[in-house]
Amino acid sequence: MSPQALSALWLSLKVSMVATALVALVGIPIAYLLARRRFWGHAVVDTLVTLPLILPPTVTGYYLIVLLGRRGILGAPLYAATGFTVAFTWYAAAIAATVMALPLLVRTAAAAIASVDRELEKAAFTLGRSEWRTALEVTLPLARNGILAGLVLAFARALGEFGATLMLAGNIPGKTQTVPLSIYTAVQTGESHEALLLVGLLTGLSCAVVVAAGRLGARAQ
Amino acid sequence: MSHRLDVRLVKRLPGFSLDVEWTAGEGVAALFGPSGAGKTLTLQCLAGLLEPDAGRIVVDGRVLFDAEAGIDWPPQRRQIGYVFQGYALFPHLSVAENIGFGLRDRGRAEGRRRTAEVIARMGLEGLEARRPHELSGGQRQRVALGRALAPDPALLLLDEPLSALDATLRQSLRDDLRRILAEWGTAAVLVTHDFTEAYRLGDRIVVYENGRVIQAAPRAELLWQPASERVAGIVGIRNVLRGTVLKAMPDRIQFRWREQLLEAVNSPTRSYLPPPESPLAFFIRPEYVRLIRKDRGTPDPDHHMNLMQGRVVGEADFGTTWTLYIKLDVPGTPAQGHYDLEIEVPRLVYEILDIEHDRQWQLSIHRGSIHVLPSSPLSAAGERAG
Repeated sequence: MSPQALSALWLSLKVSMVATALVALVGIPIAYLLARRRFWGHAVVDTLVTLPLILPPTVTGYYLIVLLGRRGILGAPLYAATGFTVAFTWYAAAIAATVMALPLLVRTAAAAIASVDRELEKAAFTLGRSEWRTALEVTLPLARNGILAGLVLAFARALGEFGATLMLAGNIPGKTQTVPLSIYTAVQTGESHEALLLVGLLTGLSCAVVVAAGRLGARAQ
Repeated sequence: MSHRLDVRLVKRLPGFSLDVEWTAGEGVAALFGPSGAGKTLTLQCLAGLLEPDAGRIVVDGRVLFDAEAGIDWPPQRRQIGYVFQGYALFPHLSVAENIGFGLRDRGRAEGRRRTAEVIARMGLEGLEARRPHELSGGQRQRVALGRALAPDPALLLLDEPLSALDATLRQSLRDDLRRILAEWGTAAVLVTHDFTEAYRLGDRIVVYENGRVIQAAPRAELLWQPASERVAGIVGIRNVLRGTVLKAMPDRIQFRWREQLLEAVNSPTRSYLPPPESPLAFFIRPEYVRLIRKDRGTPDPDHHMNLMQGRVVGEADFGTTWTLYIKLDVPGTPAQGHYDLEIEVPRLVYEILDIEHDRQWQLSIHRGSIHVLPSSPLSAAGERAG
């Protein structure tokens, strides 16, 4: 394997793990709120979170540029304050992967949380637990397998991210060139051997992920 | 410590409204009524899981809810134990963890001590590490009770505690539950749609129908003096009949029914004096109708009151007893479909009297065994002090 392919693989794993951690951090609370609370803007949050699943990744990527680019809504003040811009760094790749993978976790986890018997939560309330403690001690542990299945799917989605990453992070070898991007580059430049190797690698990883998610999902039932 | 519970609740939901007021003291109050009458809704309001639109809840002098004063304690602070229908045990926690769940505030050592104590009192030793799905129905019930009782609540709520069990287990667990409730002495409110259960477990019975309380009384009073025909019907009293008043006196009521002149003892706690010719509802317990033996000569009118002639037109074998359906020897439509009275005789009596072959009988009912039911306007008064 070429040093370039190795660095792509390493970058892909790093980006996917960071993205999965971010997805867990942001997605589990969102999933809990969507499953358990009726609040103003419920439908808006639900739609916004799900949108990256439906939109072409390039469209999501475009929105991310509008938001985080050097002249973006959040990007411009950040650049003015620190001189740092997210675009075309590996952070950008991680953020793009997070946004693309979020719907998979939120959907799966919200379904798992919604299926937890509400009587159990009420029982916890009568035994002195606040809603927050009840979520941590009862609801989330009981939705654990569904949440883990969602995280595995999110990891897989992050690993395969292409469109939005290309838009926000570009395709810089050794810096933002993840495995899917390097496959694209390898095919474009006729390095079919390299492309085949990376394709095989990604296929194997994805198969493992699907199997893992299936097992967790089955146990969650 | 003396227990007292005052409940007044109004809760409007789409297509249903709950509007009840009742009180209870020591022991167990059983909320009894058909499904969908608002019993579980009442428990949820008591526990603070649902906010009533109006009303007031006072437990042992503590005001937990008062709509006018803006008081609404959260369930966490009400000190009310709740045994859910189906128990709602935490499936991911062991028996010991379930029972200790409400003891977090007591610190580790005290929590452990109390958990062990409750496990011992509930007879669950050796099962501490089991998960709920590894327990029998009876063990689950005891874990649910132990979990709710461990924090020493001021009031215990039980929602259909026996409905999750199969019929054979129900009876023995009902007695188990009765013993545990008596032993712990915690004031309790129990919800059931089974009258036997309400009667066996409740010291006081509150009858619910369609979001209203139609009677609240000590259990014996409820059975012997149902406030109305509705209550009699709902608690499953048989032979609820309608006659016409001839003469009402404070101690007795004479009335006409199916061309018979009958006399009943008037309701001892509330003399009921309807004018002559007004309709009268009454009931006759099937086990209190006497069959007069033909070899005993002419019936003695002092001993045999309310004499009637009738014929057995149907019967059902219930093992230890037989139920006979009697049609009186008078013209006109029978009072209850194809028969006038349902009577119950022990199997031995059925055999000795050879009822299988001898269908024509003379009946007698003591005036104390005919129970007069105040008619509808009175029964609509709802809550009645017991």
